[in-house]
Amino acid sequence: MRLFLYLLPRLAAMIVTLLGVSILVFLSLRMIPGGYADILLGPFVTPAAREAISQRYGLDQPMALQYLRWLGALLQGDFGVSMVTRQPVIDEFIRRAPVTLELALIALGLALSVGLPLGVWSGIRQGGRRGVDMARLVGALGASVPDFVLGSVLIFVFSVWSLWFRVGGYVPFGQDPVGNLQTMLLPALTLSLFGIALVLRTTRDAVLRVMTEGYITAAVARGERPRDIVRLHILRNAAIPVVTVVTTYFGFLLGGAVVVEVLFSVPGFGLYIFNGLLNRDYAIVQAGVLLAATAFVAINMLADFLYAVIDPRVGASE
Amino acid sequence: MSDIAKASGVVVSYRTSRGALRALDGADLAVRAGETLAVVGESGSGKSTLGMAMGRVLPAEAEHEAGRIEVDGTDVFAAGAETLRALRRDKLGFVFQNPMTALDPTMRVGRQVARAMPGRPGDGEIAAQLTRAELPDPARVMRAYPHELSGGMAQRVVIAIAIARSPRLLIADEPTASLDASIREKVMATLRRLRDESGASLLVLSHDLRLMARHADRVAVMYGGRVVEIGPSAQVLEHPAHPYTRALLAAASGSEQPGERLEPIAGTPPTLMGRCEACSFAPRCAFSRDKCSKVRPEPRKVAGREVICHFAEEVLESSKEAPQ
Amino acid sequence: MRTLLDWLARIWRTDFLSAFGLAMLGLLIFLGIFGQWLPLGDPTRIAAGPRLGAPSLAFPFGTDELGRSFLPRVVQGIRATFLLSAIAVLISACIGTVLGMAAGYFGKFTDIAVARGADILFAFPALLVGLLVAAVAGPGQFSAISVISIATLPLLIRVVRSVTLSVAGRGFVIAARVAGASWLRILAVHILPNVMGAVVVQLTYALSIGMIIESALSFLGLGVQLPDASLGSLLRQGSAYLTIAPWMVLSSGAVLSLAIMSVNLVGDAVRDMLEPLKGRALT
Repeated sequence: MRLFLYLLPRLAAMIVTLLGVSILVFLSLRMIPGGYADILLGPFVTPAAREAISQRYGLDQPMALQYLRWLGALLQGDFGVSMVTRQPVIDEFIRRAPVTLELALIALGLALSVGLPLGVWSGIRQGGRRGVDMARLVGALGASVPDFVLGSVLIFVFSVWSLWFRVGGYVPFGQDPVGNLQTMLLPALTLSLFGIALVLRTTRDAVLRVMTEGYITAAVARGERPRDIVRLHILRNAAIPVVTVVTTYFGFLLGGAVVVEVLFSVPGFGLYIFNGLLNRDYAIVQAGVLLAATAFVAINMLADFLYAVIDPRVGASE
Repeated sequence: MSDIAKASGVVVSYRTSRGALRALDGADLAVRAGETLAVVGESGSGKSTLGMAMGRVLPAEAEHEAGRIEVDGTDVFAAGAETLRALRRDKLGFVFQNPMTALDPTMRVGRQVARAMPGRPGDGEIAAQLTRAELPDPARVMRAYPHELSGGMAQRVVIAIAIARSPRLLIADEPTASLDASIREKVMATLRRLRDESGASLLVLSHDLRLMARHADRVAVMYGGRVVEIGPSAQVLEHPAHPYTRALLAAASGSEQPGERLEPIAGTPPTLMGRCEACSFAPRCAFSRDKCSKVRPEPRKVAGREVICHFAEEVLESSKEAPQ
Repeated sequence: MRTLLDWLARIWRTDFLSAFGLAMLGLLIFLGIFGQWLPLGDPTRIAAGPRLGAPSLAFPFGTDELGRSFLPRVVQGIRATFLLSAIAVLISACIGTVLGMAAGYFGKFTDIAVARGADILFAFPALLVGLLVAAVAGPGQFSAISVISIATLPLLIRVVRSVTLSVAGRGFVIAARVAGASWLRILAVHILPNVMGAVVVQLTYALSIGMIIESALSFLGLGVQLPDASLGSLLRQGSAYLTIAPWMVLSSGAVLSLAIMSVNLVGDAVRDMLEPLKGRALT
């Protein structure tokens, strides 16, 4: 019941956010020089096709009505047609979803498995002053080396000395698991560095903050084992800000890590959208932005749910 | 009577951006077995630091510079991590000023109590433990999270946790300060009753003189990081031999509400950056002479108590003339 | 002034990383402002040296495919990267402070509208906004600045809003309101000074995010256009010759990473100073 009452207004807010997102995308695409019919069909269309599109989206009608029609089409899964392939762009996004998802999951896994322990360790100051400094350096480095710089360096290193990894030449996991990992690990590693830094810094700050709380002093005064204090009292209380950044990071990864996918030629969302832009195939850009924002908002909803599970106080007063 | 805990000449400083601030400037305090000892003083007098130092539960920026504290035969500043942990777990029990922050907000109350108890207690034993701290409806409290309890109930949970392993010394730091005035007396009475039943010692740090007068066997008054007067409550509170005690009492008798914050005396408490080479109360003292600002007073026995004042006899005499 | 010097001295003694960040940031800003008058070489002179020449004493960062010395190009890039990001972040700081204070102070509908707006902007991944803006307005500096502003605005709005909320409930604000001060005066005199600390901290992080976005956009060819150079566009230029002339990517990438890192380290130091966290030992 608490959960329901807490999530309901958030669900409403999420729908409002998505509507806002769609209005912004709608308006910005109307501002593209050339008009909306060109966006959907490209410049080389027959007048008949132009007429058909104009009919379908009511391009001669008032903006508000056009928006509603457009939104109606979206809700039925009509995100427009690629002018290059003449196929609905949504099909291509669905086909590419596993690639982006795999990349995102590997990067997230790396970020969590390195960032969390390092963050907790430096937060409880078990490593002493030197350890804290080192964790801070890793955090600062990871947050500061842009993915395309790290990616370029990795490409340089591994195209000179191959060392098992491969640059480019994606193969699906189902076809060749090892070959898939050979090509996916480098881009995932590139993406994960920022995540490692993000998780590390957030975890460290959250742990430091929890360490100042009275219940930690109380646990020490009760003579609890340090290991138990970390496991039972610190981790859970420090989890909320970590959940926030991890979900935000995951949303960012799903939204297509454009630069890394372009750099490593990984055929996911980001590369598709980027190529769409280069080809002036704006239906792809439109659909990509909408899908990414939707995924992001949905993941934030998941985060809201996790907050309530982690902290019994969340939603208690609402 | 033997001492369960004994602090002698303890010096503790806090590292701050302005330098090392001395919270304890050679504090002496002996807690006898089975007594209720109240430590009173303004905030900043060092009483919290002394109380927390009994279990070495000090913040990271606190530094022990000199002196020793022995609790049940263990030198707490020399003890290794495991010895210290065992001491805190088995011999000491802490009750904190704000029960809401002393309980983990994400863990059910029952589990927090169970973790403090020896072995793996069942629900019945946990409920019994809560009942010992006079909590009504223990079954409901066990399932609750701390934020679902009132301040008074939460403090009783903290007390139940503190006494879970029958400690020899119970240290309560302003246990009633954050509670409603109406339940302060009751919570204090619970602490007293538990002490009486268990034969443990109770060290209460408080600024509430009236409450302490009713409950404590002995009273220690702290000022400037030292215990300036210690003795049986009746004697100390009726005929103080230290001018600071006298001033505190004068202020307390003037206030209408019990437990109001003490800000009675003109001037501010001292901020010590190093050892005080005079009487730290001299600048605010009505009895102050030349000697007070030149010679550091040492503890003396005067009329059944220990006092740190060059002119204790004179103060005592004037206290008897005009009883508080 | 005295306290500032004390602070610098203490950082130098106790906190090497912060001192390093400060020194590095100072050097880079100096290079960005005065680099064009330093004798580092002419960034535009074609065939000043060999094509794709390796680093040497005369050309410390090597030369590019047209034989231009790469070091002065990198200095040019530092200037563009810092300038574009700083302008964009300052724009979003101004807008974010106004919107955040309005949301936190007036509450109700204003708050809902601003908070929702921030959520909507936050939902767009920055680089996809970059692609969208490039589609609408064409690639270039204007696009880069707007994308950075859009991406960092929600961060600033949220921080300012939450600080305003906590300040607005405090005694001196309520007292001022009871005394009949106008809302404009309360916001400007009582709330703004309290918000500034949080804005400064957030600003440094926003600046580092801005620099990442700017360079990423330029790397994709959507930001700074030739003949101008930013660190990102230099990386783009260099990545075409990655295997035969790696010094272009390595030097501009290293300078870019150092620049962002110095901003981050200074941000950490400022935050530690404004809101120190005191932990405890577990034993």
